[in-house]
Formats: sequence, structure tokens, C-alpha cells
Amino acid sequence: MSSALQQRQTVLTRTILVVFAIVFAAPLIVAAITSMKSPSELTRVLALPTEFYWQNYLVAFERMGRSFFNSIAITVPAVALSILIGAIAGYPLAYMRGSSGRLVYFLLLTGMLVPFQIVQIPLFFLIQRLGLYDTIAGMWLVHTAYAVPFCTFFMRNFFASVPRSMYEAALIDGCGPTRYFWKLLLPASTSGLAALAIIQSRSIWNDLLFAITLTSSDSARPVTVQISGFASSLQVEYGPLMAATLVSVLPVMAAYLMFQKAFVRGLLGGAGK
Amino acid sequence: MALRSLMSNRTTRTHLAFLALPVVLFVTFYIYPIVSSIHLSLHSWDGFSPAMRWVGLQNYATLLGQPRFINAVFNNITWVVFMLVVPTGIGLLLAALLDRGMRGEGVFRIIFFLPFTIPAVAVAAIWRWMYEPSNGLLTTVLNLIGLGGLSQNWLGDPNIVNFSLMGAVAWWTTGFAFLVFFAGLRNIPTECIEASRIEGATPWQTFWKVSFPLLWPSTIIVLGMSAIDAMRLFDVVWAMTKGGPAYSSEVLATQMYDLAFGRFAMGQASAVAVYLLIIAAVIIMPYIYYMSNRVTESEAE
Repeated sequence: MSSALQQRQTVLTRTILVVFAIVFAAPLIVAAITSMKSPSELTRVLALPTEFYWQNYLVAFERMGRSFFNSIAITVPAVALSILIGAIAGYPLAYMRGSSGRLVYFLLLTGMLVPFQIVQIPLFFLIQRLGLYDTIAGMWLVHTAYAVPFCTFFMRNFFASVPRSMYEAALIDGCGPTRYFWKLLLPASTSGLAALAIIQSRSIWNDLLFAITLTSSDSARPVTVQISGFASSLQVEYGPLMAATLVSVLPVMAAYLMFQKAFVRGLLGGAGK
Repeated sequence: MALRSLMSNRTTRTHLAFLALPVVLFVTFYIYPIVSSIHLSLHSWDGFSPAMRWVGLQNYATLLGQPRFINAVFNNITWVVFMLVVPTGIGLLLAALLDRGMRGEGVFRIIFFLPFTIPAVAVAAIWRWMYEPSNGLLTTVLNLIGLGGLSQNWLGDPNIVNFSLMGAVAWWTTGFAFLVFFAGLRNIPTECIEASRIEGATPWQTFWKVSFPLLWPSTIIVLGMSAIDAMRLFDVVWAMTKGGPAYSSEVLATQMYDLAFGRFAMGQASAVAVYLLIIAAVIIMPYIYYMSNRVTESEAE
């Protein structure tokens, strides 16, 4: 291939990538700029704000109340519990031979196709009867339970990519299957666990469906419900709304940027096998 | 020999003990609610009264006669097709282009993936602002480049509201497909690529004949997840349009939520949920079956 042609292709590739990057970044940039504008500047969409109108952020924090902290209180333990359950279920399924293991795996996998809507009404009454309606602990339980199929699927595939010889060697050395799991397998799986933790924190932090069904007061409502109410009020004030939106976006974004490498590695471990 | 069977017994018992808690959670939070939903769908109930009235399959029949329900089914199927094609296609394109070793790779990677990390309600808030008919970004840009005539009442027109929602969702979900494909491409041994280059294949040929077939594991993950997400779609539609205007953008999930918690028609809402489960099962079950078989095959190797 001639180098001129090659160069033209590189330029073309680069142009396409830059155009897409602009399209992908524009909504976020516009949101960031909007969050800094005073109400009178809002109508000039493309203009930069003349000064940083920090009242937007004050109003946003006031409107969000404690929902931001509720989101943290829900997400952190629920992520830890759900990846632990995924690992606990994925471990025997990665090592069991024969049809019974396969049947359990198939059953758990079918859970992935269940639209949450079908459980929504009975779940509402179940959680109420358990006395967990409108509590943070109720949200832990629900998020952990509904993570079982995906987390099991993910951790099982990850464990299956860990060399089996490690397992056999450990058993021959007299290490029991339980000790092997806690002392050897889990520590060797940090990249998989980290990748799953990122995926889970995104889906738990971002959840709206369970939150609007199972919480009703400021004591347990996460930030997503608060923003959704904020956004559908009659007079939408876009300045404070964009400020609140950006604040709600930051934790998961930061988590992703921090664990990006582990995420890609873990995804490969899961997807490669 | 005795020691061996003792060990394997102990192993089996440990395995079963490990499975106990997940299975209990699964039965309590999946099996029981599904059975209960089916039971509820055969009744007429407002959610409060002590007595439910048995109506048999009447809820199911009523729904089939409603244009509102038929429209939601149609929308759900459109969403599945859309999710399988558009975010997946764009994600593959971006991954393939970026894999050619571009300067600033890390920055591109972050920009393409970031929207995926955002909550649906944030996507909705941002895009409602983008779609403002009078001074949203979209209308402003169209006016600026002299195509102001193309601007629309993006979310208020029943004929285009679904396309507007799809634009927002494509922006939101493409990052996932992109990242999985990108990771998959990086996982392909360089010898395969080099061998095909030496044979004189163009980059285009190399991609379709060598890389793409080797990307099969990534493709399976992306397609499966997209189909599941499309069937479950709720948050973005709810937060952007509540299914409106005039139910035009409703999907089964938002319709069920409106019937159950807006109108307290628990029986009919449950029937919508059961229909959704059936449609999801028909579309996604072959995928799940394929996955669990593939896993057993790879073990047999």
C-alpha cells in the first residue's frame, strides 16, 4: 500500500473519531456550562457564562437534601454484598461437574431475562410485609437479590478463566475447598471483582425503578428519584437542574476513571472465556 | 480411594453450601414474585381492598383490544431492533477505528465511554435541555447552520418522540459496546493481524475476515446485554416523557408502572408484566440457552 494512501486513511480515521468525540462530549459540556449560568443567560445556549453563577449549585444541594448521602449509603454496601454473592455462587458453578451444576447455572441465567417489572408489584408488598419499605436496608436487600444472576454469570466466567491446576494443587496440599475460596481464589480475582464492582456501582447508583417503587421519604430516597422529581416539576429551572445532575454523575464517573485498567482487564477475563 | 471419595464428598457439600444463599435469594425474589404476578394477573384488584375478584384471562383479553397496549408492544420490539443495531454498530465502528493505534487513544476512550456511566435520570435531564424546542442546543445549532426549518418539537410530537428518545439512548449506551469491542480487539493476538497484513490484505479485509470473527465472544456479550436492556427499558422513557405525548412513547414497563402505581389497576398491570416476560423469554431465551451450552462445551475441552 502506498504511504500517501495510508496517510489519507489515517486522516480520515482521525476525522471520524474527532467528530464522534465532539458529538459525545457536547451534551456534557453544554450541561456543565448551563450549570454555571444565571437565569438571564440561559437562553443564549452557545454563549459562555459571563461569571460563575454558584447559586445554581446552592439551590441544587438544597433540593437534593440528603438524597446524595442516601445514594452513597445504599450503593456502597449493596455493591459489596452483590459481588460477594456473585463470587459465592460463581465459585461452585465454575468447578462443579455434571448436570446438576449446569441446571442451577441455567436457572440463575434465566433470571437475567426477567424484566424487573414483572416482580415489581409483588416485591412492593413483600418489602412492605418485611417492614423494609422506605428503608436503606431494604434497598440493600433488593439490589443484592436482583444482582444474583448477572454477578453469578460474571464471576463464574471469571473463575473459569483462573487455571484449574491452582485448585487441584491446593486440594492435594490439603487446603479445603472453603479455605481455597477465601485464601487463594478471591485474592487472585481482584481485577474481576473490581470490574464487577464498577458495573454494579453504576447500575445501583443509577437505579430509578426500585427506588421510586420502594422508597417514599427523604430518609431513604436516592438522588435519582430526587432529580427525576426536580426535572418533572412544572417550572423546570435548568441551571440548578444541570448542577444537580452533574453532582449526581460524578461519583460513578470518578470510580470508572480510577479503576479503568482493572475494568478492562476484568471484562477481558469474563468475555475472553 | 476412600480418601478421594471422602474429599469429593466434602467438596460437593461445600459447593452446595455455597449455593444455598444465592438460591434462597433467587427463589424469594424471582420465583415467588413471578408466580405471585401471574396469580394477580387473573384478578381484578386496586391494591387496597381486602378482596381480589377472580376474572380469569379477562385482563389479558382486554389488553389485546387496546391500541395503547399494542402500541407499547410495537415500541418495545422497535427498541430491541434499535438497540441490537445502532449502539452496537457505532460502538464497533469506533472500537475498530481507535484500535488502529491513534494518538490520544486514552482521551477518546474516556469520551466515548463517559455517557454510559451517567444515571438515566441525568441523561433525561440533559437531553430534555438539548431538545428544548425554542432554545435547546439542537434547535440552536440547526438555526446557526441555516437548517432552522428542520427543527421540531422533539419531545412533543408523537411522530418523532421515539426517534428523539433513541438519540438520547444511543448517546447513553454506545460506550458499553465500544468498550467491550475495544477490549476484545486488544485481546486478539497480534500474530493473526500481522499474518494477514503480510498476505497483503487491506485493513478493511483484515478487519472483516480476521478480527471480526475473533470478536465473537465480545459480540455475544454486547448483543445479549442490549436485548435484555431493551426489554427492560424504563428509566429514560419515564424520566423524559412519562410515555407521552398521548402514550406514543410508552413501552410495556412504563405502561405497567402507570397502571399499577398511577391507576391502581394491579391485575391489569400484572397482565402487562406477564406479557412482557413472555416476549422477553421468546427473544432472549435462545441466547441464554446458547450461553449455558457454550459454557459446558468450553469445559469439555
